[in-house]
Amino acid sequence: MAISESGQLEAELIDPVTAEVIRSAMETICFEMATYVSRTATTPILNQSNERNATILDGRGRLAALSVGIPQFMLSATLPVRFCLEYLEGDLSPGDVLVSNDPYHGGGHLPDFNVFSPVFAPDGSGGPILVASIQCHHGDTGGALAGGYNVFAKDIWSEGTRYPLLKIVEAGRERRDVVLTMRTNNRLPGFIGDLRSQVGAAQLGSRRLGEIIEQYGAETVKAAVDWTIDDAHRRFSEEIATWPDGTYESDVYVDSDPAGNADIHVHVAVTVDGDRLIVDFDGSDTRPDIQAWSTFGNTRGYTISQLASLVDPSIPKNEGFFDCVDLRVPEGTCVNPVEGKPVSSGTHHPGVEVGDAIAIAMSQILPDRCAPQTYKYGAPRQMWGDLDPRTGKSFFDHGGEVNAGWVSAVRDVDGWGALCASNGNLIKASAEINEALFPHILRGRNYLTDSGGAGQWRGGCGSLFVKEVRSPTYVNQYIVNRVHTHPGIAGGENGSPDSCVLAEGTDHAVEVAPTVAGAKLETGERLVYRFGGGGGWGDPLDRDPEAVLDDVWDEYVSIEGARFHYGVVVTGDPGTMTLALDADATRDLRAELRAERTDRAEGGE
Amino acid sequence: VSEARFRIGVDVGGTFTDLVLLRDDGSVLLEKTPTTPQDQSQGVMDGLARLAEAEGFASVGELLAATRSVVHGTTTGDNTMIQMSGAPTGLLVTEGFRDEIELRRCFKEDIWDPSYPAPEPIARRRVRLEIPERMTAEGDVDTALDEEAVRKATARLRAFGITSIAIVFLHSYVNPAHELRAREIVLDEYPDVELVSLSHEVYPKPPEFERTSTTLVNAYVGPPIVRYLDRLEQRLREAGLERELLIATSAGGVAAPAAIGRRAVATIGSGPTGGVVAAARAASAAGLGDVVSVDMGGTSYDVCLIRGGRPELKSDWNWRHRYCIAVPMVDIQAIGAGGGSLARVGSGTLHVGPESAGSEPGPVCYGRGGTQATVTDADVVLGRLDPAGFWGGRLTLDADGARGALGRLGSELGLDAEAAAAAVVTIIDAHMTDAVRRVLSLAGADPRRLDLVAFGGMGAVHATTQAAALGMRRVLVPRAAPGFSALGLLTADHVVDNARTLLSDWRQVDPDRLSELADDLERVAREELASAGVPDDRMQFEWLLNLVYPGQTFDNALPLTRAPGAPITLDDVAGAVEEFHRRNEEARLIEARSQEPMVRGIRLSATGLVDRPAPVELGTTSDPAVPIARRRMYASGAWHDAVPVFDGDALRPGPPIEGPAVIQSRFTTLVLRPGDVASVLANGDTLVEVAGV
Repeated sequence: MAISESGQLEAELIDPVTAEVIRSAMETICFEMATYVSRTATTPILNQSNERNATILDGRGRLAALSVGIPQFMLSATLPVRFCLEYLEGDLSPGDVLVSNDPYHGGGHLPDFNVFSPVFAPDGSGGPILVASIQCHHGDTGGALAGGYNVFAKDIWSEGTRYPLLKIVEAGRERRDVVLTMRTNNRLPGFIGDLRSQVGAAQLGSRRLGEIIEQYGAETVKAAVDWTIDDAHRRFSEEIATWPDGTYESDVYVDSDPAGNADIHVHVAVTVDGDRLIVDFDGSDTRPDIQAWSTFGNTRGYTISQLASLVDPSIPKNEGFFDCVDLRVPEGTCVNPVEGKPVSSGTHHPGVEVGDAIAIAMSQILPDRCAPQTYKYGAPRQMWGDLDPRTGKSFFDHGGEVNAGWVSAVRDVDGWGALCASNGNLIKASAEINEALFPHILRGRNYLTDSGGAGQWRGGCGSLFVKEVRSPTYVNQYIVNRVHTHPGIAGGENGSPDSCVLAEGTDHAVEVAPTVAGAKLETGERLVYRFGGGGGWGDPLDRDPEAVLDDVWDEYVSIEGARFHYGVVVTGDPGTMTLALDADATRDLRAELRAERTDRAEGGE
Repeated sequence: VSEARFRIGVDVGGTFTDLVLLRDDGSVLLEKTPTTPQDQSQGVMDGLARLAEAEGFASVGELLAATRSVVHGTTTGDNTMIQMSGAPTGLLVTEGFRDEIELRRCFKEDIWDPSYPAPEPIARRRVRLEIPERMTAEGDVDTALDEEAVRKATARLRAFGITSIAIVFLHSYVNPAHELRAREIVLDEYPDVELVSLSHEVYPKPPEFERTSTTLVNAYVGPPIVRYLDRLEQRLREAGLERELLIATSAGGVAAPAAIGRRAVATIGSGPTGGVVAAARAASAAGLGDVVSVDMGGTSYDVCLIRGGRPELKSDWNWRHRYCIAVPMVDIQAIGAGGGSLARVGSGTLHVGPESAGSEPGPVCYGRGGTQATVTDADVVLGRLDPAGFWGGRLTLDADGARGALGRLGSELGLDAEAAAAAVVTIIDAHMTDAVRRVLSLAGADPRRLDLVAFGGMGAVHATTQAAALGMRRVLVPRAAPGFSALGLLTADHVVDNARTLLSDWRQVDPDRLSELADDLERVAREELASAGVPDDRMQFEWLLNLVYPGQTFDNALPLTRAPGAPITLDDVAGAVEEFHRRNEEARLIEARSQEPMVRGIRLSATGLVDRPAPVELGTTSDPAVPIARRRMYASGAWHDAVPVFDGDALRPGPPIEGPAVIQSRFTTLVLRPGDVASVLANGDTLVEVAGV
């Protein structure tokens, strides 16, 4: 029986109430899988930071449901499963659990391991009906450097071991040969334990999905999946249909790749054509010797994640989103590398710039909702040393501490908190606990005054992160956002730049530009990282002067910043509690600044 | 001197204040009075007057003179947070950590919505002031406290009109010297300050964000709560209460008002705990093992897992009112699902809840102006609720109105009124089932090994369907449904749950230091319990060791078995570590043992046992129950004709009742599906064997 994409036949197979009940149950199963990992994994990034992404796919590898996690990565979890369903067609059985991490077989980068289990009809007949999948980030991948982020790798093999597809459990039995191979190719003692936690989650999901198939019947469940995908498709396409037709382009740059190649370029042209979108990355960087590559699956995840942030947040996130988008990513561009290129850092940059590019392109027609849902991390910082004097042991600090940066404003809401909404599920490490684990003292991470991009709504502030080491420590660091900073929208200004200085205040201070590898800090020296602010939204001269005065009281903005960026004249002194708004002077200054702008524009023509 | 023979539970809810008078023979008297939101103590006194009258006393004074204790659950703290009407609050922090409360460890509630707004601030940035000072993780002074800076900051907060001050210095749980000294200076500089909250006293644990947020909330709600309790206590004393007043906490216990004054934050979220405590008692009395309690009222559906006879407590990552309140709380998860949940069609899909019609206007069938169909309306159309017998006949339901509303809803979906009603109930049941599954998955519990305890006005209407969907074999419906939560307060034990921090590899842990911390914990707990009138022989101590595998952030509390009175030994610690490994192995993580856990601290859960009321015994009968009516009812996906309706208040232990059937009591209705079998227990509670499980 053929089931149409358009939902014509499903109407006969399924009523919307049953479909809704099954959709809700699948989301709960995703939650249960993710929670299982949180409860059973031992690595903090899995059990506490929420970087575990549970999804359910149908027998054709279409995304049916997803749960808590990181949006970009949840949405990139489909292609490895799809590859498996095609490659192992006919060779999958009930009770199988598979593992894969290969960026060139659907994955994002090597540290992200997908573990998934197909679900069959109760009698085992036919092909898989659903697939329960859980993706987690692991702390090591083998390869030349510990930590899974070899930003200096010239190819994928130097980054770590590739597993395009392995059956780790075959028909319910763990394969000891596979476990041995994977254990042998990883530095971390907890790796297999964490992997087993994922296996348990996939088995839990598979069992629960099996119960649902048993309760409702395979055809009803399939029809429910079609219904919910069509529902998302219909609601997303209805929103697209209200957008003005046309092609909207943007250009976004990464300062440089870890090797120092400057201005990695992402170009996007988004065409609105009725109720469909064409997202075309032709024109993006094609230099073959760069080291900044975002795989197709990664680019696809960031694309859909950014688009999802533009529409009604209640639309279920599933394949229906992908169905509305004709995604064109020419092979050989930095956002779809030919097989073999290194990708560990490219997952982030130019991965996040894919999102930036779409936000900026779409802000031409949808300024009210556009804010880049991205971050400018470079790559995770690593600090290590041979001796923690308190324990007599060596130490390895993966960082991951709280910092604030790159939170853009949207219309009606100033940037707030520490990170953009789509990263709000990353619970970051604390100073008190990390100081007990590693020999350092965190001297602070306060917001930086005047770092948020000015706008009618202000970008969130960046932060001043100061880590002082208590014993000799080596540092790996790759930094972006020094030149091409987090973009403002609809006339808002960009956020402030990032910078990172090692041993600041000494005669051998080093500014990281863009990388350091194994740089040494002596006892008492500091790593000083200034994280950039988010972009502003709308013309800063339109910001309510009272809001600017409040910002000055709270030192998000200085008196000088108020005058320079917002045309707001604040008098008095916070120390003597005498801050006040000079309304007349503000009106005059704003008129003057507007006139200067007009002159500049005319002069430029 | 009159004999103190009563105990009184007072539970303030959003609409009504429930009161329970517990007599020495175990019998109870229930009363209800409207809640007085401006000053809840007024409603409390009104309710006591009613109790006195009903019990035949000439005055409240006579009743109180004969009362051994008044146990009070208040929502003052929650209301303060909902309205953001707390004290003007300022914060002194370690230099460099001014913005923890905004950074929130990067957490945001909605990862898909870039327009999601920031929480309303308790202390804006201008009143969060930095103090040069610093401890190391080991508790050594890295930077001395700048006393002059504390003086200046205090003056500045005062100039800003701040009346409550929180002080949060890093690593104060290891060495509180700087926080203690800073308080002295603040009090010296600003003697009229209403409250100074020290982070190591409110929540003596890392990490800094959780402690900052909890301490700030404490500072914010403390003054209004203290003012309220002072007022209440004064009224009660003036009226004649001579003995103890106890306040319910979110940990499911009670504490003396003086202890609440120091940690007012411990009352936030205490509202629903009484019901959970009572559910735990009811489950034990019925001989059930681990259970899930569900409380379904008009607007919310509260779910709690009860293992080993005690509600699960959760610390650290508790979010209430958009702030992290890390103190231990009974882990009750609420979703917006109840009798008042509104049904609507949006984008071609039927949605039910989380919006609720509340009590005003309420469901359409209440006839108070509601026009949008609710779950209660659907239950009326499906023949589950008796339009004439609702709330013991105090409210007659407008069945035609309900049918009309469901008809209008159904027309948008191509369904008639009855099919629409079935759809509404199917959706809300699915939401509630999913909510239970989520709660259980967080605790790693399998619903098929648990029973269900259902209470609240609507709990028993939907309970058997829930249980069947979750694979749960039995449902317990306690009899004292309306005053259930207030009754729970009376059976709640005193709970003092504190922790001390010690960070160390477990093999290097210093047992002497651990013993010192334990002694300190025990001393504090004993003092607090004694001050609440608990004798030594009624105190129980449960020791827990907080452990993590390297890199984990959130603590795992493992039982620490130690010889009574003796210092803690390394063997004791090894025992807890072994148990930690064992539990992880049980979860199939065979590599767990290859990692060396870290000790993060020691925790003492001290309990002051409260006398339980003697159980009521109903006489048994061998006669089958006689239906008071028959009606058409929808259950298990089909309509059933002439379904028998029984008067629940008249039922005695006797021959079981088999579904389809309805057991209708004054305040609740139990729906039995075909094959469900209900038995009335000796104490009047009803136990259902669920069909098809």
